[in-house]
Amino acid sequence: MTKTTHTVNFTLNGEKKSFATRPDEKLLTLLRREGYRGTKYGCGQGTCGACTVLLDGRATYACLFYAMQAEGREVRTIESAGTFDNPSEFQKQLVAAGAVQCGYCIPGMVMSATALMETEAVLEDEIVKEYMDGNLCRCTGYEKIWVALRKTLDKQAEGGKKPAKKTSKGAKK
Amino acid sequence: MKLSEFIRPASLAEARKALRALGPKGMPLAGGTALHFLTGKTPVTAVDITRLGLSYIKQKGDYFVIGAATPLADIQRYRGARWAMHEICRRISTHQIRNVSTIGGNIARVFPWADLPVVLLAMDARLVIYSGKEKEMTADEYFSSQPARLFKGGDLLTAVKIPVLKAHHGFGSVKASRNATAFSLVTIAALLELKGGLIKSARVAAGSGIPFPQRLKQVEAALVGKEANTETFRAAAAAGGAAARWVGGEGMSADYIRELAEVSILDALERAAEFARGRAA
Repeated sequence: MTKTTHTVNFTLNGEKKSFATRPDEKLLTLLRREGYRGTKYGCGQGTCGACTVLLDGRATYACLFYAMQAEGREVRTIESAGTFDNPSEFQKQLVAAGAVQCGYCIPGMVMSATALMETEAVLEDEIVKEYMDGNLCRCTGYEKIWVALRKTLDKQAEGGKKPAKKTSKGAKK
Repeated sequence: MKLSEFIRPASLAEARKALRALGPKGMPLAGGTALHFLTGKTPVTAVDITRLGLSYIKQKGDYFVIGAATPLADIQRYRGARWAMHEICRRISTHQIRNVSTIGGNIARVFPWADLPVVLLAMDARLVIYSGKEKEMTADEYFSSQPARLFKGGDLLTAVKIPVLKAHHGFGSVKASRNATAFSLVTIAALLELKGGLIKSARVAAGSGIPFPQRLKQVEAALVGKEANTETFRAAAAAGGAAARWVGGEGMSADYIRELAEVSILDALERAAEFARGRAA
């Protein structure tokens, strides 16, 4: 491991932060080292989704992302989604559905669902599955997670809550 | 791969200069996902090329031009006239990877299971390489062997140009894999040009299940001048077995992969014909 020290600056859960890092340190390692331990280390190779964070609003595997790549960008972790005392709607629905068994995959699930709800206006099953296809659960067989997510989305639709951004369909960057 | 340094050049010229000076000790980084899996023991300097304006999709004349650092998710979500690139991008890996991995990263180093080289070969795409000035080459030339040969001296892939399909053109791609996010066992892509019910020209390419992506010339020859119907497609697909050296993998025998390829060729051709006849994109 190299000892070269660098500084990386990015917005973390709404606060501008500056961290000392190394060129090959992964964002996941940095976050956990700095106390953001809700983001989990699962497979470490971009398969399981336990380390999912939002990078400029897009779900990203923190285990396959060098901390240095986050310079100037907006990073959000599960700590921004809700707390034990004040959980988000999806977190409430997950508990209500009995979808949290070992719980290790849940932070990643919540972050992927957050990206979905903030980006897409039309929440058909196909698009929901696309957003969730990078998160594995080894306990539930997905059904209860799916029920919790569908309830959350339906509730959001009933409430007429619009996503922060427009649907990405046809979006150009 | 170990990173010993991380630099952010301010321009394409600076990036090339840095990579030129670093030689094998330098590595361009865009999405960076592949770098985590490279096993080189020598630490390298990552040259971040994500801040050089290389992430875009625009239609320019007869081509869609895609910047090399454009994430796969953007290509998947883009919609243009007779756009066909979204289907294969949707099938690559997972949502989180598609958000980060780029088209350039998918083709600058060709992994055996890569899907985009197959699609670009069939599409007759053009690749833009920066070597102080930009030069273009055909996909046939670019994918004639591992593209690393083109990037010596710090040269960089900057864009991919996809021909805008005309009304009588149809494109179809098939990726056969064990599950939704697994690497491909066989990927097939086909571009058909129809004229009065006949196949005027055809480009069919394959990847995975063979050592390196390639065109299937025998399949193409079995199509040109024939009627665009299932009978023709079946005969052409049957020529697919002999058109390449199919190899087994992931517990599958070479025979199985060859049969899977023939079925996939048939499906890709049917999809291409359907597209040409006016399928909604």
